[in-house]
Amino acid sequence: MLRRFEVHRATSVEEAVDLRVRYGDDAAVYAGGTELLLAMKLGIARWAHLIDVKPIRELSRVAVARDTVRIGATVTHWDLERHPDVTRVLPALARLEASVANVRVRAAGTLAGNIAFAEPHADPPALLVALGARVVARGRRGERTLPLEEFVTGMYQTALGGDEILTAVEVPVPAPDARAAYVKFQVLERPSVGVAIVAKVNGASFAGPPAVVVGAVDELPRRVDTAALAGASLADARVADALAASARAAVSPVADLAGSEEYKRHLVGVFARRALTALAAG
Amino acid sequence: MPAREDGDPVERTRFRVAGTEARRADGVAKVTGAARFTVDLSVPGMAHAVMVRSTRAHARILGIEREAAERMPGVLAVLAGADLVAAGLHPYYGHVVLDHPALAVGSVRYHGEPVALVVAETKLQAAEAADLVEVRYEDLPAVIDADEALRPGAPILHHERGQRVGDEGMDQGEGALEGNVCAIARVQWGDVDAAFAKAHLVVEGEYRYPMLYGYAMEPYNALAFFDQGDLVVYSTAQHVYMVRRDLARMFDLPLARVRVSAPYVGGGYGTKSYTKIEGACAMAAHLTGRAVKLDLSVEEAMLTTRSDSSHIRCRSAFDRDGLLLAREFDIVLNSGAYTDNSPLVNSKTANRCFGPYRIPSLRVVSRSVFTNTVPASSLRGFGAPQGNIGGELQMDEAAEKLGIDPVELRLRNLAGPGEAILPGKRPLDADLREDLRCLVASLEWPGTGGVSVGFGVSASDAGAYPTSTAAVRIHADDSATLFTGSTELGQGSRTVLCQIVAEELGLSLERVAIVGGDTGVVPYERTTGASRTTTVTGRAVQEACRDARRRVRELAAQNEKVDVAAVEDAPAGVRVKDRERSYGEVIEGWFGAGGEVLGHGSVRRGEGFAQMPPFWEIGCSGVRLSVDRETGVARVEKLVTVGDVGFAINPALVHGQDLGAATMGMGAALREELVYEGEQLVNPNVVDYRVPRFSDQPPEIDLMLAERHDGAGPFGAKGAGEGAGNTIGSSVAAAIGRAIGVFPHELPATPERVWRLLRERDERARR
Repeated sequence: MLRRFEVHRATSVEEAVDLRVRYGDDAAVYAGGTELLLAMKLGIARWAHLIDVKPIRELSRVAVARDTVRIGATVTHWDLERHPDVTRVLPALARLEASVANVRVRAAGTLAGNIAFAEPHADPPALLVALGARVVARGRRGERTLPLEEFVTGMYQTALGGDEILTAVEVPVPAPDARAAYVKFQVLERPSVGVAIVAKVNGASFAGPPAVVVGAVDELPRRVDTAALAGASLADARVADALAASARAAVSPVADLAGSEEYKRHLVGVFARRALTALAAG
Repeated sequence: MPAREDGDPVERTRFRVAGTEARRADGVAKVTGAARFTVDLSVPGMAHAVMVRSTRAHARILGIEREAAERMPGVLAVLAGADLVAAGLHPYYGHVVLDHPALAVGSVRYHGEPVALVVAETKLQAAEAADLVEVRYEDLPAVIDADEALRPGAPILHHERGQRVGDEGMDQGEGALEGNVCAIARVQWGDVDAAFAKAHLVVEGEYRYPMLYGYAMEPYNALAFFDQGDLVVYSTAQHVYMVRRDLARMFDLPLARVRVSAPYVGGGYGTKSYTKIEGACAMAAHLTGRAVKLDLSVEEAMLTTRSDSSHIRCRSAFDRDGLLLAREFDIVLNSGAYTDNSPLVNSKTANRCFGPYRIPSLRVVSRSVFTNTVPASSLRGFGAPQGNIGGELQMDEAAEKLGIDPVELRLRNLAGPGEAILPGKRPLDADLREDLRCLVASLEWPGTGGVSVGFGVSASDAGAYPTSTAAVRIHADDSATLFTGSTELGQGSRTVLCQIVAEELGLSLERVAIVGGDTGVVPYERTTGASRTTTVTGRAVQEACRDARRRVRELAAQNEKVDVAAVEDAPAGVRVKDRERSYGEVIEGWFGAGGEVLGHGSVRRGEGFAQMPPFWEIGCSGVRLSVDRETGVARVEKLVTVGDVGFAINPALVHGQDLGAATMGMGAALREELVYEGEQLVNPNVVDYRVPRFSDQPPEIDLMLAERHDGAGPFGAKGAGEGAGNTIGSSVAAAIGRAIGVFPHELPATPERVWRLLRERDERARR
């Protein structure tokens, strides 16, 4: 069961930053709580202080500019799967969000929280990395923006400073000729393999190399080397073979209850092909 | 022909209430949240207990440092097993062998075993203090695998055996219980060796059924206090009278001074059979002088009871025509750290593994084995799914090798109605051949276009020792109250039993109330398990109604000053001197004002239940399934069950039971498994232990009922609720086998296991 802790309801990012500085390692940032509270209930993690960022108004917004979708840190999966601008501009992300965990998790859990918790068995990171997403963090020394790939540094580890709050996730608006797809394999509560593909497509061929990222299987989302696929036809069986081989080579799967290292590597190949099929389908 | 859906119209019109899909007696209360479960109860001055659990699989307890915990605010006591002994209490419980301590005494035998109990004013205070209890251990070698536990030199869990309780219905005798053997069961007839020697075909293999946690929405919890020296325990127990007996022993109290009550229970499935945490909770109440509540989390419940896993080595001999000549089974069950119900699970595994076939020669040896793991006990259908995976899959494997259709192979071997499948037992009270024909018709055997079909049959000797009593009070306003010791676990027993009362007394269902599951109030009921309630309890209820009617006739005779023979039953009262009198008129006429009539009914191992089992619980179900060859994912496209239930007193409830049992079966077949790595469970939580979800349910489900009024229960009913799941494991394995060309021998058939089978097959093909 949960042990005693104090919840601090921050009403501004500055207040949240002050609380982080004051309580240091005794505090965790609390948004949806779908990962955090589960870990605390199971006794895997204990914090004396939770800094609740949900009351911070500015973090609850989705803002769509010409070239960027800015997703506030307290925006939930549920918000994103049905947000009219997100479904229009980033349909692949909206579809992914609709497939995260279950409706209770989606209703409470936030995209930023998912990223900040850095649980490797997660859906969003692979697609966000492929889309070139950035993370916005604000701390004592102001605001910084860094690529998601640099933000997540390991299993449950991020580059977030001890005085920083993750305030938003920024996703570049894809070019009009770009397509994106995310496919996953899941047997337990969380995905065990996820493959994202984002590519500019010219007719039935790749215009340039596609961005392919494998998530959930490894400690970090892994980019797949696709240099050889630039200009290749999406329908070419050899392209699928090459992509599958390249994807398998890109990962060091972590064995767990969802499968052995060998099986997961096999699945990475299978789902790389399926990602390509999904992309070709539209 | 079995009647489908609503049964034989002629048979059904004999009844007014029985056979209808009456609304659940507890439906509105549960849907609106008004129903009270044990966990909802509180009494003034109630304290809360939290368990401290072992961090070792096998160790001697050197000492327990509790001062730091005792100094914490709100803490009333920190109790260990030694305190129970010092207080003169008997810490050991068990309905077969008294070997399970309420709190570990001297040593621990599995990781997660309760070692101490912290009692405090609030649960949070107890939990925070529990964090500060330090237990010093001296590690002992541990054994997790049952086959390893049987090897010479394996660490021994029980150097001294606990006292045997000697209950005829439970204890199969001591036998030669050496080393870690908890129980041995043997079934044998004919000349097995000679039969195998002359066989046209012998199919041989090893099969495994997983260790499961029977997930229920309400984890184990109890509330205990003493009321003027009487022990009162509210708990999630299925068998309140069994728990009463354990508690009476632990406290040296007469049965009359122990009251165990189970209000609504949030799911049981056998996992709440017998005593669990009631002893520890009651002892905390005794030693602190307070009412104490102990409610476990799901994660703790997973460390309390699980099911026995099985490892089967078996072979089957057939002649050229596919007739069974002999079968031989050597089964090892991993039964965990304490005896609990494993001897019964073991004997049922032995009785149920070979199937409802004509088998000229048979040899079965099943051993239940102690290991340093969570203690195993009952789970829905116990013994049947554990053995069925070997017995039924070999029918499919043999059919393939003989080139005989597996339906036809079964039809040639199945025992018919009235035939004995176990010597000395009740003859088969079911028509399995007809059931199977209905099943495969709905499954569209043999399957087409990427969809494969698997099916199976089983007959379980219901482990329902037929001791039941019931009482019915007819009130002066022509309403009635039923008193039963059967527990409402969600299965709908209150509804069905009320339907039986309404039918027998000629009352509308709205005029029948029920009081259940409290040993201080209701008459004796042996257990709520083994699918017994409708059949066995139902008969006691019928007898109680008839006794009440007899009493009403006597009163009417006295009222009217006639011989009792001149009084007849009327639909809702009596007919005397050509006039109908309602119950109320008779009762008030006799008393003058007010009053009531009390009827008592009992059944025992005699009369209709002289021959065991009281009924055979039939399993006849199957699946249509597809396999993703790239990932190994098997997906059930259609589930079909044939409920051979004699008569469905409430068809909707029987459908619910069949679907529930089959769904749990699909969980075990495809996903569920408790996994030990080293000496610890790695998935003792429902995030990593995957119970079925609604989204896992097959898109198509056909739940059929075969109603031939051939049961010993009321109106020809037989038990339901377990059978439909018993054959799902083998059905799923058979369907996967037909899809990929290799029969999986180990469940659950997880995607990786199926993928490996496919890969091995491909590698063999390449060589």
